[in-house]
Amino acid sequence: MDDLIARISHCIEFGKIDRASPYPPDMKGEDGADELTREALDAGIAPDRLLNEAFVPGMERVGRKFSERRIFVPQMLMSAKAMDAAMRHLKPYFQSGAVRRKGTFVIGTVAGDLHDIGKNLVAMMVEGSGWEVVDLGVDVAPSRFVEAVRAHPECRAVGLSAMLTTTMTGMAAVVEALRAEVPGCRVLVGGAPVNEEFRAMIGADFTSRDPQGAVAYLESIAA
Amino acid sequence: MTKKQKLDHVLRHGPLPGETLFLPILMHFAARHGGVSYAEFCADHHARVAANLACLERFDLDCVTLMSDPYAETSAFGARIEYLPEAVPRCRDVLVRDASDIDALPMPDVFRSERCLDRLRGAERFQRELRGTVPVIGWVEGPLAEACDLADMTGMFTLLMMDPDASHRLLDHVLEFGKAFAAAQIEAGCDIIGIGDAACSQVDEETYRTFVRDRHVELIEHIHSRGGIVKFHVCGNTTHLLPSFAGLGFDLIDLDWPVGIEDARAALGPDVLVTGNIDPVEVLERPADGVYDACRALVDGHRAERYALAGGCEIGVNTPPDNLLAMLRAARSHAA
Ligand code: B12
Repeated sequence: MDDLIARISHCIEFGKIDRASPYPPDMKGEDGADELTREALDAGIAPDRLLNEAFVPGMERVGRKFSERRIFVPQMLMSAKAMDAAMRHLKPYFQSGAVRRKGTFVIGTVAGDLHDIGKNLVAMMVEGSGWEVVDLGVDVAPSRFVEAVRAHPECRAVGLSAMLTTTMTGMAAVVEALRAEVPGCRVLVGGAPVNEEFRAMIGADFTSRDPQGAVAYLESIAA
Repeated sequence: MTKKQKLDHVLRHGPLPGETLFLPILMHFAARHGGVSYAEFCADHHARVAANLACLERFDLDCVTLMSDPYAETSAFGARIEYLPEAVPRCRDVLVRDASDIDALPMPDVFRSERCLDRLRGAERFQRELRGTVPVIGWVEGPLAEACDLADMTGMFTLLMMDPDASHRLLDHVLEFGKAFAAAQIEAGCDIIGIGDAACSQVDEETYRTFVRDRHVELIEHIHSRGGIVKFHVCGNTTHLLPSFAGLGFDLIDLDWPVGIEDARAALGPDVLVTGNIDPVEVLERPADGVYDACRALVDGHRAERYALAGGCEIGVNTPPDNLLAMLRAARSHAA
């Protein structure tokens, strides 16, 4: 059983989605995250064990290697796909309440900004660390963030992403709207031009250069 | 010496005594400064040329450029582009959703594509106005950037990993068009062709070498064979790619702020003109004195090399003009 868990974790780390996927070349023809997760559940491994002992550590290693620039965006995307394939099998358990997630995290790229790679990577790392993620996409108006939080009462934090100096200033309006409408909700901001000084200026709760920081911060508020 | 002669001097013989070239990338900023909307700037060469000339005058630039949003080629391939008054145009279509779309892609005719033709007209207009005195920079999307414009970045990066053969076909296709577009721009009057391939900064070295490097060599050789100078632009952190950039053959390289100029110099050798690399966010946010000091440090540190002062990438639209003037003062400072 431990072997299955280790193999799933390995598939997520190296982006092996399913048997049919030709990536990574050295795992061609082998079972991927999809088949192995099914097999693990059928063998009676508890879904929360899979989440905590296979998915989370796999994604942690991915995040670390990305921060250290040992892997890049294409490899991250493959890991995200492998995680999605595995996570799909857990969805029924989340829905039935058999497995609880740490909370809901709403994320989006702010109005006027179309960059979504960084946001997607943050979303996937947060999901892989055990949160439910509601991804609003790109070019998201302040009111839509507020609506999304209202629609998900278990939402504890919102992430805003911006890559342009012209659009990052729009984060201030979102923070203001969220503070007014949903005061208890934490706001994380990020994206290449965002720094600590800017975060403090607009009154957001947290920023970091990479998804790992966001995961650690969310961990601290989930506790 | 004219500005064109100065650039030629730096490329052929090395730094100019007492002066550093000033080559900031201005697009939206130029539009704002020239009093035209960004939509006009992107879609109409009259606006783009006029805005560049206004900046040339005010900021004593050492070049003018035809660079704007990334979608000239994408529109030639058939994507619909929506122009917004004060934002970067939006590309409404993802033309390549899977491998089968690649074989259906047309090979557009540069001279029949509105956006491409507009850039050629811009080059001609610059030459009529400036008569060869100021270097005119044309622009093509690099092969990976264009593939990402067509397939969207997530789609393209996934294709690279999952279907190498289809990736090679797409990259070959866009490369062929890029070569034709570059040649036409040189013919129309561009002295320099910029190759913008920022997407490369997001891939590892092996992926770069497998899919892109040889195509960069081919594009650069093609531009040289038509008499053009090559400015290579991959913004973002490219430190991990510097060894692969060595030997590509470009004449100028734009370095973004996360890359050490010393590291680039060590990898690329003394003959390349390095432009950069103050963080555009600093230029936007700092007081003019601070911008001057930071630029002065760059200029002083690299005045003995083939070096030009610029931001790491585009200067932001809301940058105070005084901050750009502070950059200019720093570039010219050692003349005093
Ligand atoms: C890819 C790209 C594009 C693609 C976007 C494709 C897509 N689907 O995302 C396209 C071609 C559409 C594009 C368009 C433009 N772009 Co662009 N683009 C880039 C590029 C090359 C990479 C960005 C990227 O994906 N990085 C990879 C991800 C992983 O990094 P990241 O986004 O920073 O995210 C990380 C962190 O910031 C953080 N993070 C991100 N979000 C969040 C959120 C939270 C809550 C937290 C905690 C952390 C966090 O974690 C992420 C993972 O580590 C960069 C330059 C570069 N080489 O970096 C320019 C860049 C971002 N673009 C830039 C510009 C100017 C533009 C355009 C205006 C270009 C133009 N003049 O035509 C348009 C604007 C379009 C628009 N309205 O948004 C500038 C921005 C300058 C500035 N600071 O204002 C950059 C920096 C290039 C430059 N050096 O000038 N671009």
